[in-house]
Amino acid sequence: MKGLINSAFVILLVSGLLLFANYQLEHKAGSAGKDTITVYNWGEYIDPDLLKQFEEQEGIKVIYETFDSNEGMMGKIEQGGTAYDVTVPSEYAVQMMEEKDLLLPLDFSKIPNVQHIDPYFMNLPFDPDNQYSIPYFWGTVGIAYNASLLEGQTFESWESLWDASLRQKLILVDSAREVIGISLNSLGYSLNSTSLQELKQATDKLETMGPNVKAVIGDEVTQLMINNEASVALTWSGQAADMISENDDINYIVPNEGSNLWFDNIVIPKTSTNVEGAYKFINFMLDPEVAAQNAEYVGYSTPNTAALSFMDEDITSDERFYPDEEARKNLEVYENLGLETLGVYNELFLKFKMGLR
Amino acid sequence: MKKLGILPKVYLAAVFVILYAPIFYLIYYSFNSGDGMSNFESFTLDHYQAVFQDTRLLIIVLNTVIIALLSALLSTTIGVMGALTIYFMKNKSARQAVLSLNNILIVSPDVIIGASFLILFTLIGVKLGFASVLISHIAFSIPIVVIMVLPKLLEMSTTLIDAARDLGASRKDILTRVILPYIKPGIFAGFFLALTYSLDDFAVTFFVTGNGFSTLSVEIYSMARTGITLTINALSGLIFLLTIILVLGYYIIGNKAKSPQGVKK
Repeated sequence: MKGLINSAFVILLVSGLLLFANYQLEHKAGSAGKDTITVYNWGEYIDPDLLKQFEEQEGIKVIYETFDSNEGMMGKIEQGGTAYDVTVPSEYAVQMMEEKDLLLPLDFSKIPNVQHIDPYFMNLPFDPDNQYSIPYFWGTVGIAYNASLLEGQTFESWESLWDASLRQKLILVDSAREVIGISLNSLGYSLNSTSLQELKQATDKLETMGPNVKAVIGDEVTQLMINNEASVALTWSGQAADMISENDDINYIVPNEGSNLWFDNIVIPKTSTNVEGAYKFINFMLDPEVAAQNAEYVGYSTPNTAALSFMDEDITSDERFYPDEEARKNLEVYENLGLETLGVYNELFLKFKMGLR
Repeated sequence: MKKLGILPKVYLAAVFVILYAPIFYLIYYSFNSGDGMSNFESFTLDHYQAVFQDTRLLIIVLNTVIIALLSALLSTTIGVMGALTIYFMKNKSARQAVLSLNNILIVSPDVIIGASFLILFTLIGVKLGFASVLISHIAFSIPIVVIMVLPKLLEMSTTLIDAARDLGASRKDILTRVILPYIKPGIFAGFFLALTYSLDDFAVTFFVTGNGFSTLSVEIYSMARTGITLTINALSGLIFLLTIILVLGYYIIGNKAKSPQGVKK
């Protein structure tokens, strides 16, 4: 009995010491005033130095939290219980959040730096007039391939993914809209197709790709490509950039028929308790120099035109990640198709996956 | 004790290699000066330095450990009392019912427990953060402690209690001098299991973190989208080292207690 009580006492003592250490650390971290904002962002999606810079500049302490999926983030915001002032949903999620009435309309007079955003990325179908959101990063869906492991294919067309020489070499992302999307694109249909007939045609075509598919996986693909264990992958531009920086043999291409153009966007949720602070934070992140530093740290493409001049030319002139306007014409932004159609996509994708051997 | 033949030895070695290889692989690359796990460039301690410079990460690590220790301690206390209550229940069918309810909680999916807690906390207006994480970790650890302690109680001969009573021990004496010392290994097993459950739980914790309070598992999952940096390798290495030290310490203390001088009081 004595032993048990002693053990309990030791544990309490250790926890107390740790709590004290924690308190010290937190105090050291947040030297700024009592004003705070809570930012909810994707993991590794901001340069931590910028948070410090913002705290010093504006005297507002930033509580920074991370999430790993749009759905998880929306779930927490919908339930409340924590006061997020700024968050970064993808385009379809902006639309869903708007429909659920989770967002505050933006007052542009408080965000003068919005003028630096490329007009091409404003006023998009998922949020006309940018009433609720401002683009944060953008990218494309395309093909990453390792030229040294292949026989000279260049993947200018989605059709080349069906090529018999790729037997058991292709890796797909585990995401219904991306995978069905390539089939829709190759047939010349819209990525936002809701026609059952078109979808049926697309999945029928997709099934003939079956023998080429080695695996349908998530983020692990980056490591497989880097290690030369896989030769072709359907992936997002940011992931491809990671692969390229590690392995020179890898290239990334967006096929000519077109593809998906995606956005992650800054929004202010209705749960915000410090709207003024949120505006200051957004305006700060849109500052050209800040945006440039952030884009170099994160590695995705920035929509901030003024930022491009502050960035390394090797990055901004790379048309694989900053395609010119001509190339962007073929790209299509996802729309929220509604639960019912999304269900159809998921079901068709599941059927495709089950058909794989 | 019979000596092991060569085959069982090889088998045992193979099992340990498989269990430990991934961890050592991970730690090996934490010393890599390159920024990936693909090829080893040269030796560096930069990533360890980065761990200690990243205050946010350190705060999260401390949070994780504090939550683990406190939730394990509290759930062990509550769980032991629960196990004793179940043990002394007169009504057999009631006892069976309580035990089944306890077991249902062990097998029910974490996601569901997490989502229910989120709804409960927002309903009664508990702010998400330290308290909500602590409460939910205590909650999912209690059934585990109960299931670790109960077999020890059932294994204990009832004559032990009868004898103590015959010798004039009070109820309190029976509890503190007979039962608790007897089930002590079960209590510690329950505590350590609760500790590890709390340390690596993601599903429940994801739902109940908020207001700047986060734990390591949630943080690493969020990082996975853009690839996990070698800083996490370094951190994992440090935590692994700490665990080994703790286990060794526990082993040494345990051996001392068993030695003749340290007769239990």
